[in-house]
Amino acid sequence: MPIIKANNLVKRYKDSDDSKKYLKAVDGISLSINAGEIYGILGPNGAGKTTTLEMLEGLKDIDEGTAFINSIDVSVNPYKVKQIIGVQLQANEYFDNMSLSELLNLFSALYSSPNNSMELLDKVNLGDKANAKANELSGGQKQRFSIACALVNNPLVLFLDEPTTGLDPQAKRSLWDLVLDLNKMGMTIVLTTHNMEEAQILCQRIAIMDYGKIIAEDTPQNLILQYAPDKEREVVQGNMEDVFITLTGHGLRD
Amino acid sequence: MFNKPQAYLTKVFIQIFLRNKQYIIFSLILPILILGIVGLNDGDSDPIDIGLVDNSKSNLSKQLTEQLTMNNLFNVKEDSEDKLREDLVNGDLMIVLIIPDAMNIEANNLNIKLLVDKSQVQFMQTIQPILNQSLLSIERQITGNTPMFKLVIEDVKSRTLSYIDFLLPGIMAFMLMNLSIAGSGFNVVEFRRRGILKRLFVTPIKPIDFVIAIVIARMVIVLGQLSIIFSFALFILDANIVGSIFNLYFVIMLGVLMFLTLGFSLGSLAKSQESVGVMATIFIYPQLVLSGVFFPLESLPLFIQPFAEILPLSLVADAMRSIANDGLQLFDIVRNFIGIALWIVIGMIISTKLFVWKEVAG
Repeated sequence: MPIIKANNLVKRYKDSDDSKKYLKAVDGISLSINAGEIYGILGPNGAGKTTTLEMLEGLKDIDEGTAFINSIDVSVNPYKVKQIIGVQLQANEYFDNMSLSELLNLFSALYSSPNNSMELLDKVNLGDKANAKANELSGGQKQRFSIACALVNNPLVLFLDEPTTGLDPQAKRSLWDLVLDLNKMGMTIVLTTHNMEEAQILCQRIAIMDYGKIIAEDTPQNLILQYAPDKEREVVQGNMEDVFITLTGHGLRD
Repeated sequence: MFNKPQAYLTKVFIQIFLRNKQYIIFSLILPILILGIVGLNDGDSDPIDIGLVDNSKSNLSKQLTEQLTMNNLFNVKEDSEDKLREDLVNGDLMIVLIIPDAMNIEANNLNIKLLVDKSQVQFMQTIQPILNQSLLSIERQITGNTPMFKLVIEDVKSRTLSYIDFLLPGIMAFMLMNLSIAGSGFNVVEFRRRGILKRLFVTPIKPIDFVIAIVIARMVIVLGQLSIIFSFALFILDANIVGSIFNLYFVIMLGVLMFLTLGFSLGSLAKSQESVGVMATIFIYPQLVLSGVFFPLESLPLFIQPFAEILPLSLVADAMRSIANDGLQLFDIVRNFIGIALWIVIGMIISTKLFVWKEVAG
């Protein structure tokens, strides 16, 4: 039973060079994500991953197509959808001069849900940082804190936008453990990433996006078997990074 | 109407503000300094330093010298012409009067030479009539003529208005404008740039919740700051408020509302922190000159007065002055309220049309 169902999502932008022309950041994406799944969206910079997430989250208008989360239409009832999802954004800045527990209390209040800031901070291993300010945290702590913020409403679906970008291996591993724990408790998780190992380890299914379209979607294992056969013969098998490069080419993106 | 998220967000905005001690201190320093300087210097105006060269040494010239010395308006210094010329050039004296040696009781149509520094020409226009008048009355006293007319000046509003009383409502209006613009326009652009706005709108709050929270928080903050300035002026500097304080606060609250909406529209028009700074400067500084905050609007060139009168700051400053200095009631300044209401509508139209809440990523 899919908890997220999207059909032919389109997002248009005005071309910055020619204001009469429109570019499609997202070009007809359909998704069906099951409850309890960890679903990964991979793609080079500018492929439309973040825009896709933001349309599902009700942050950006959906220009064409439909999206339902837990059978609620995102375009019709964005506020109801926001009530049942948790979102971690790429940028994670917060109000100055406020401690972590105060920020969590604020976010709880915005959902009108009871506050349980200490419990949340313990869950993300920041229990001893309750009185610290957000800008005093390290990169990994910041990411864990922004996941804590995304959990204040005990969401059905958690969206993570490049959660491990810029983290050192230790911080990255600790975040993976957190994601797997949350998933074990039944939370559906949708994440975007540039890290192929991450996609391979965490995700049950992966969609690879390029130029606003999904160009492949399957389990990591099947994608490797299908798109990285050469390496498979040479060594044991290729990895997700080989899949990615095979699909999106070697050229550098912005 | 006032729900839990709004109340909590309001509390947080006030909390954030109260923790920014540096900002609080700096926002209070300027108005207190300006009022303090004016307030402490608010006695009788200083006498004008004039030099006097008596080349005649006659009875008549001595009489004139005596009369001038006794006049409170002038502070007379007698010396040789060369010495006094030097003082004039150095700026220690405003003018030097030279009494010709032919001055005696028989002489008619005597020319008393007046040395001035041309750079003080603006000042001369004010002082010349006073000087003429003084010389005329001295002449009358010496010759024993009784003057035919005498001007008795009576203030119909029968109050003693000092410069600080005039300045106080204007300074408060100006401060109210600055704080409100900074609190809405700057805040919103900064929140948007740092992605904080986007983080807030991930939660199920609506843009209107955010706006209501920031308006109420700013209202509380600005009223608090203005009350500090107000108490300073009333209790330390002995300023006078003729009208009702309640009416004054009513105008202040309307003014805050107007400048908050105008600040939101500046924040909506500006794409970056730099441009909101420039736009706020363009918005604030002409009004500083054109809104009668530091001197009356009537002193502006005629052609610009109708324009100056409808500026947001003029409307607020004038309304506050009408209450504080003239003791007018709220219904006497309905025109100001209509003007303020129009500006609020304009601000709301611009900010709701242009502030694309959905695309908060900026």
